[in-house]
Amino acid sequence: MSWIYDLIANLGFGMGVALTPTNLVLCFLGCLIGTLIGVLPGVGPIATIAMLLPITYGLPPVGALIMLAGIYYGAQYGGSTTAILVNIPGEATSVVTVLDGHVMAKQGRAGVALGIAAIGSFIAGTIATLIIGALALPLTKMALLFGPADYFALMILGLMFAVVLARGSVLKAVAMIVFGTLISTIGQDQFTGDERLTFGWAEISDGIDFAVIAMGIFGFAEIIKNLENPETRDVVQMKVGRLLPSFAEFRQSFPPILRGTFLGSMLGLLPGNGAVLGPFASYTLEKKIASDPNRFGNGAIEGVAGPEAANNAGAQTAFIPLLTLGIPPNAVMALMVGAMTIHGIVPGPQIITKQPQLFWGMISSMWIGNLMLLIINLPLIGLWVKLLRVPYRLMFPSIVLLCCIGIYSVNNNPADVMLTAFFGLFGYALIKFGFEPAPLLLALVLGKLMEEKLRQALTMSRGSFMTFIDDYNKPAPYLLAVAALVLIVAVLPSMQKSRDKVFVE
Amino acid sequence: MSNELPTAPEGARDGAHDGDHRGFVKSPADMAAGLFLLAFATFLYWGASDLKIGQLRNLGPGLMPLVTAILLGVFGAMLLVQSLLTHGERLQRWSLRGPVFVLGAILLFAATIRGVDFVVFKVPALGLVVSGPLAVFVSALADPQTRIKEAAIYALLLTAACVMVFKFALRLPIPLAPWLLGY
Repeated sequence: MSWIYDLIANLGFGMGVALTPTNLVLCFLGCLIGTLIGVLPGVGPIATIAMLLPITYGLPPVGALIMLAGIYYGAQYGGSTTAILVNIPGEATSVVTVLDGHVMAKQGRAGVALGIAAIGSFIAGTIATLIIGALALPLTKMALLFGPADYFALMILGLMFAVVLARGSVLKAVAMIVFGTLISTIGQDQFTGDERLTFGWAEISDGIDFAVIAMGIFGFAEIIKNLENPETRDVVQMKVGRLLPSFAEFRQSFPPILRGTFLGSMLGLLPGNGAVLGPFASYTLEKKIASDPNRFGNGAIEGVAGPEAANNAGAQTAFIPLLTLGIPPNAVMALMVGAMTIHGIVPGPQIITKQPQLFWGMISSMWIGNLMLLIINLPLIGLWVKLLRVPYRLMFPSIVLLCCIGIYSVNNNPADVMLTAFFGLFGYALIKFGFEPAPLLLALVLGKLMEEKLRQALTMSRGSFMTFIDDYNKPAPYLLAVAALVLIVAVLPSMQKSRDKVFVE
Repeated sequence: MSNELPTAPEGARDGAHDGDHRGFVKSPADMAAGLFLLAFATFLYWGASDLKIGQLRNLGPGLMPLVTAILLGVFGAMLLVQSLLTHGERLQRWSLRGPVFVLGAILLFAATIRGVDFVVFKVPALGLVVSGPLAVFVSALADPQTRIKEAAIYALLLTAACVMVFKFALRLPIPLAPWLLGY
């Protein structure tokens, strides 16, 4: 049982880091900003973190990452507030919360829905913190087994998951992955230094900054899309009511919270942004095992508790692939890589031994952050409701200016801002042609690393592709087998139907 | 979801062409998507065509861009074929006002913050004091609900707040008003 003592000792060591005044303040700031952007529909953690990257130059590395992490999981809390009160998801991960949460609000139980969402998220956050802590060491050890071929196989698997998770045609999703990989090759070759696809333009010879593309596609293209469909915000006018659920309601929600936490944590671990699937999986499960499934959609408290726990747990365990393997599983984690690079930290298995104060400090801060979020969200709910009354016609120009300042400040280069405008147009075109940008972004994140590992693997095997499949003591063959299976399942007609159903529901 | 709402005039206009005989192209949306991919694939393949592919044991810089460009072209072609064989969605309408004002605002910000000196295109460095309100006001024009006076006042207030936060509190090295203050 010595690992339990180790875990406690490590988390205690992390607490020591996270509880210093600077880090506490930064953690609080992160959670506050996260809640703010979570509440506001149309501003997500991707654009926000891209916007705030330059600010983290001047911060100590541990504090900077604690703050950015707080923004990500804080947004999961905030997203539920909008889902429950306004009937539109504040974040993509709170789509399912709308179903029962808003009905509860209409029934005059808005407070209880908000309360159980926050409590569920807190329980999930606590358990997920322990899961990360417990899995960190074994996974880091496993990562040492990974050679270039295995890394390559794992990233292929991640991309296949992204195909399954994208809506609409599989052909278009796969095309987006290829496109993302192609864009990732722009800039100097890492091995030979050749200029690739730069067309003689010096500004992009170091490659196009990920923040630039993310901001263009997820910041500006979204704004243009939103302007086409004037949203109607129907903020629940009645009183929010009591926030604390009754004992009976809590007892009813507790098992769904635990199941949601488990599902969310497991899916969050997957490379390829499995975290977005957590709430869907949890809602489907609760509906399946409920004694009376008809209650779902009519204000069932389990339909809020489970998915909210799942999205929060997933947001936290998504850090595991980044911190132990150095592979960012989604766009937010890719921006985290950017933040680490600014401070000269290379993500990967060596972090835990070389920078234990960063690793454990960040993990322990997640629990503290969850505690803060409970306080930020429940008593301050009136403030967030007021915020929702800010009209979009004032909000989006603010986002435009903040994004411009943020992108300019990454390299103090106006050309970056112009490129962002180009990618805004590009992203708008993708939306109009029915492509989903998420797989493109993931491929963009993994593309460089994937090429590097492929070339290393083939050099080591003297040009034999067998290196990916013939060594059964290595993870590569198994990972590729699973990846192939995932792709086959995605193409099956029955799967396509059920996938569409999940997203329509 | 909300982004699928058809607007009334669009439905009325396209109604005349609806029905089974939409001609040769059965799915205009897929056709456009395929052409979009093919165009990028061709352009980027051409851009990468002079890079070395290398050998299997020592892959060159050209392999990844060329292979992905070819694959992208293949997927584009598949979409094209699909658009001729299976019925699909109509082309979505592109709005002009949103992209023009939002992207225009961003380009204006980029051009004025530190100035531009590009052949005949010259803009002095105006700094955040000018670029800020310009970006806010011009982008606000993208929304038909915008009120001019409100947007103008908001642009000034928001810029003032940004100057406080980014320049004075966080000390980002963003130029404020080089023509007036020298920084």
